[in-house]
Amino acid sequence: MSLTVALSKGKLLAGSEALFRRAGLPFPNGEGRKLVVASGELRFLFVKDMDVPTYVEYGVADCGVAGRDVLLETGADVLEPLDLGFGRCRVVVASPAGRAFAPDRASTTRVASKYARLAAAHFQGRGLGVEVVRLAGSVEIAPGLGLADCIVDVVETGRTLAENGLEAVEIVAESSARLVVNRASFHARRAEVQGLVEKLREASR
Amino acid sequence: MSAHRLAQVPPGVQCFVGEEARHRRRIEEAVVSVFEGWDYEEIIPPLFDYADVFAGEALASKTYSFVARDGSLLALRPDFTSLLAKIAAGRLRERAAPLRLYYSGEVVRYEPVKAGRQSELFQMGLEHLGGDARAADAEVIAIAAECLDRLGVRGFVLALGHVGVFAGLAEEAGLTVERTLALRDRVESKDPAGVRQALTGAGVSPAVAAALERLTTLAGGREALDQAAEAFAFCAKAKAALAELRTVTDALETAGLGRHLAVDLGEVRGLDYYTGLVFRVFAPDLGFEVGGGGRYDTLLARFGRPLPAVGFMLGLDRVALLLERQGRLDKAPPALAEKVSGETLGAGLASAVARRAQGGRVRFGNGAPR
Repeated sequence: MSLTVALSKGKLLAGSEALFRRAGLPFPNGEGRKLVVASGELRFLFVKDMDVPTYVEYGVADCGVAGRDVLLETGADVLEPLDLGFGRCRVVVASPAGRAFAPDRASTTRVASKYARLAAAHFQGRGLGVEVVRLAGSVEIAPGLGLADCIVDVVETGRTLAENGLEAVEIVAESSARLVVNRASFHARRAEVQGLVEKLREASR
Repeated sequence: MSAHRLAQVPPGVQCFVGEEARHRRRIEEAVVSVFEGWDYEEIIPPLFDYADVFAGEALASKTYSFVARDGSLLALRPDFTSLLAKIAAGRLRERAAPLRLYYSGEVVRYEPVKAGRQSELFQMGLEHLGGDARAADAEVIAIAAECLDRLGVRGFVLALGHVGVFAGLAEEAGLTVERTLALRDRVESKDPAGVRQALTGAGVSPAVAAALERLTTLAGGREALDQAAEAFAFCAKAKAALAELRTVTDALETAGLGRHLAVDLGEVRGLDYYTGLVFRVFAPDLGFEVGGGGRYDTLLARFGRPLPAVGFMLGLDRVALLLERQGRLDKAPPALAEKVSGETLGAGLASAVARRAQGGRVRFGNGAPR
C-alpha cells in the first residue's frame, strides 16, 4: 500500500510541488480538479490548508505539508520532523496605523482573526481577556468597518496590511511550511515514512 | 425538563447494539484471558471516589466531579490506575509485593471528541506493583504483545522510550520550567527546528543543545539505542535510563518479540506521571495509538505504600476500530436459535426450559393469542 500525502490546495501548493519534484518524488501532472490522485508510489490528497493537520492526525494521510501557523491554530497532535523552509510568513497582531493595541482597554477590545485559537491564546498568555471574532477570510477589512479593533493574521510582505491602513504591532508566531507525519505511521510504516522524510530533507537543504 | 432532550444524545457518550456489542465483548474476553493467563487478579473498583484520589497529573481538569450530600467532592473515575494504587495501599496493604492486578471497564473524562477519543472510554489494563523492576517492565510489555497477537492485530509496533533520557538532558540544560515545557512540546512533535528555537538564548552548552535536538531523530530500530548511548554518554541520568531500556529490549528480543519493538527516545508524553520506561502501541490502519503504558514509581507513595509500579492499558474502542479496519473482527455469528413453542403457554415454556437445560439457544415462540 502506498503512502498518502495531504497537501494544501492553497499558497503552499507551488512550494510543495517544487520540493517533491526536486526530491525526485512523484507528483501528479495537471489532474485538474481531482482531490485524490495516485502518482507513482504515492497517493495525494488536495485539501484546504487548515484541514491538512486533521487528515494527518487521524491517519487518513500518513504525512502532509502544513504551515506552522496552521499547526498552531489547529493544535493537531502530529509529528513535525522537517522545516521545509518555504512559505515563510509571520502571524502578527495588526492595528489601524496610529491606534496600537492598548492592553489597558483589553476587556473591550475585539480581535478579528482566522486564527481564533491562536489569537485567544496569545492574549490570554498575557492575562488579557479580549473578545475574539472568528472570520473565514478578508480579515484585514474588519477594523476599518468597525467589526474589530485589531486583527491577528499572517503577513508575508505587509502590502495587504498597508493597503487597509493597518500596521503590524506584535509578532504572534513565525511560520514556515513543515512536513507533518502521523504518529502511528511513523512507527507502523517506518521504512516508507523514513525514506520519504530523508528524500525531502535532502531536497529542502 | 425539555422534551427534546429525551431524543438527544450528549456528546461523547456511546451506545452499542447487537453485533457491535458482541465484538466488544469478545475482545474483552480475549484480553482478560491473557491477563488471567499471566496470573493477574481482577479488581472491580468503585465507579466514583473522592476527587482527591484522582488529583495530580493532567487528569484533574478532565474529571467529572460532583458534590456529595456531606459536602465532599467526588469524582467519576477518569482512570483506573489511581484507584488500583489506592486499593493496593489500603485494602491490600498486608499483601506482599509483587501485586499483579487487572481491570476492565469504563472511565469517563471531559475530552473533546476527537481522533478516537470519547468522553466514555472502555479500558482494559493491568498494574504490576513491586517486584524486580526490569522483570516487571519486560513482563508487562510481553503481555501487551500477547494481547495484540491473540486479537489478531497485524503489524503492531510497541514503541519504547524512557522519560529519564529527556529528563536527564533537560536537567543538564538547567532550563526554567517554562522553557522546559516549551522544549518538551517540541521534542514530543519530533521538531528539531522547534527544539533549536526553544533553546535560543537559554545559554545551554552546544553539546547539550545538540543532544536535545538529537532526541527528535532517535527513533526506529534498536540501533537508536546504540546511537543514543554514544550521543548522551556525558549525561549520567540519560545513560542509566538507556541501560534500563536495553535490559528490557534484550529480554524481549530473546523471548522472540523483537519484531514488534521500536525505540522512540522522543516519547516524552505523560512526563509528570511516568518515571521510567514508557511505551505506546501502534498499528497500521489506525492513526492513533491503541494503548500504552509505563513505569510510575512515585504514585503509590501518595497513598502511603511506596511501591514501584508499571502498568499498561488497551482502549477497547480503539482495538475494535483497528480490528474492523484490518478485517480481523471475529464475525462468527452466534449459534442459530431454535424456535420452541407448545400447545399452551405452560407447555411451550416447559419445552424451552428443558432445551435450555441441555444448553440450546432457544427463541421462545409462545405469545399472547393474536
